[in-house]
Amino acid sequence: MKLLLLPALAVLAVFAAALTALFRWSLLEFVPGSLAPGAYTLANFKGVVAPQYLHAVWDTVILAALTTVLTLAASYPVAYALARTPSRRVRSALLVLTLAPFFTGAIVRTYAWVLVLGNTVITWPVPMLFTERGVLVGLIHFSMPTMILILAAALSHIDPAYERAAASLGARPVRVFWRVTLPLSMPGIVSGGLIVFAWTLSAFPTPELLGGGKVKMIANVVKDLGLDSFNWPGAAAFAMLALALTLALLAGAGRLAGGRVT
Amino acid sequence: MRSPALTSLAGALLAVALLAPAAHAQNALVVSVWGGNWKDTVEKVLGKAFTAKTGMPVEFEVGGTIDRLAKARVAKGSPLVDLNFTTTHVARLYISDGLYEKLDMAKIPNAKEIAKEAVRSDYHLGSWSYVYTVVYRPDLVKEDITKWSDLWKPSLKGKIAMPDFDPSHIITIAALMEGGNEVTWQRGEGKLKALKDSIAAFYSTDAQSQDLMKTGQAPVQVMLSVNAYHLQEQGIQVKVVQPSDYPGIVGIDTMAIMAGTKKSAAAHQFIDLALSKDIQSELVKALRAGPVNLGASVPANLKGQPGIFASAAEWKDRGYIMNDEARAKNLPGWREWFTANIVKK
Repeated sequence: MKLLLLPALAVLAVFAAALTALFRWSLLEFVPGSLAPGAYTLANFKGVVAPQYLHAVWDTVILAALTTVLTLAASYPVAYALARTPSRRVRSALLVLTLAPFFTGAIVRTYAWVLVLGNTVITWPVPMLFTERGVLVGLIHFSMPTMILILAAALSHIDPAYERAAASLGARPVRVFWRVTLPLSMPGIVSGGLIVFAWTLSAFPTPELLGGGKVKMIANVVKDLGLDSFNWPGAAAFAMLALALTLALLAGAGRLAGGRVT
Repeated sequence: MRSPALTSLAGALLAVALLAPAAHAQNALVVSVWGGNWKDTVEKVLGKAFTAKTGMPVEFEVGGTIDRLAKARVAKGSPLVDLNFTTTHVARLYISDGLYEKLDMAKIPNAKEIAKEAVRSDYHLGSWSYVYTVVYRPDLVKEDITKWSDLWKPSLKGKIAMPDFDPSHIITIAALMEGGNEVTWQRGEGKLKALKDSIAAFYSTDAQSQDLMKTGQAPVQVMLSVNAYHLQEQGIQVKVVQPSDYPGIVGIDTMAIMAGTKKSAAAHQFIDLALSKDIQSELVKALRAGPVNLGASVPANLKGQPGIFASAAEWKDRGYIMNDEARAKNLPGWREWFTANIVKK
């Protein structure tokens, strides 16, 4: 039986080795104009807590939180319809529409948003492209299919008899939803929320293309430091900082959610 | 029941399939270059001519500037490629890390015909040139743009894009405008800050730059001349400015031989062929970049255009060439300053 664990342990060992290498690089001195790092130092960690980098961390956390909440709000009605509609046709149509974005790459979808959010197709009353607003729209669109599928799975596990029972006892539909459906779908909300929050923390193509260089999230800063400034130790230090932050936020969110994960 | 003969045959075929590419790579000259049009052109113009001349096939490893640098670094001593194309200042990083072999100029007789500006070091030689200059869409910008200082006009507010991966061009121009240069770049800090509100977007790739221009999101750009000519070919009406106040910032792509390669002689032959008049003339036509061989012919429609230098005098007067070493050393600091003061809201 223990032998079955070997593949998982091998994968774990590879990831541990990669993280160790990353941590080692974060402690090496960056020498401008050279690829070879210098001696061991903590200077990289001091460097990456400069205001412009912390600003990117703050933007990332805020965007991830807003994306999670707004994706949930936008996805719940669709998931509800998907789980509860008696019509097979409507269910199939909703499922196809939900799954369709998975068949186009993230880059293609984001380029489509460049056209929509710019002023070439629609004249927006406020600037959308190259702003946090535009990035938020892109992130929500990217996250919705997954959230819808998770919520629909959770909703389909709720026995409609509970809702009928509440209604038969005089509860209006809104009250039934707030007091019965929503609490019972909480495992799906928590699971979907954690997944969307976690992957939005590491979002790269959406802020890269829709942010126009003006909206930087954590992954964009790592790329800027590593690939554009050739500062691999700095990029490693920022990545370690981001990893620690992500783990802390997810641990906090997990604790808040308690055991309510499907 | 399985047939032993069939099993053996299948095993042999699998071994051939797995080993064939490796065997082929052993016989071929492996060249590292950017993807897309760059690789297609080098393969069509240079690779085929090299194979026709020497009988040696040419294979390509394609990727971005830094991906390829990272690969070269981890393969130090036993390189995966024999010859490398990269920008001249990034080549400095290869050299500082001992990744390039010193060139034997006796084996590259055509190097005598190239502009002195294209001889970048004992390790790397220019292959073609271009400039970063002002490019704009006259259908979306009503006034003429003729010089760098026009970028600071209030009417262009919110219309400009420039690269954020390498702000060295605009930093150098701002410094030149304030009587400095890339070494004393701090002189231009105030000038750069005054440009902040005019910038609509920063682009990270050539493709993004072209998309911003095509969609009109940023109809004025500090742009690579080669990309601007490419847009013109696609029917997008863009004007490539030959700035009257300060020259465009010259970019030179270079060739070098990887240290530790077993095909040094062939790589020298490849570089020599790349620098020949005929190949240079073909490269100019295909890439719309400037030749480094001063004897190469330039099509009439490209003569005198930004980034196309056809004589020693044009190399000297019509472009500003930054110091490679200063650029490689300063770029991280420049980016940090640029991000904190210009990119940040």
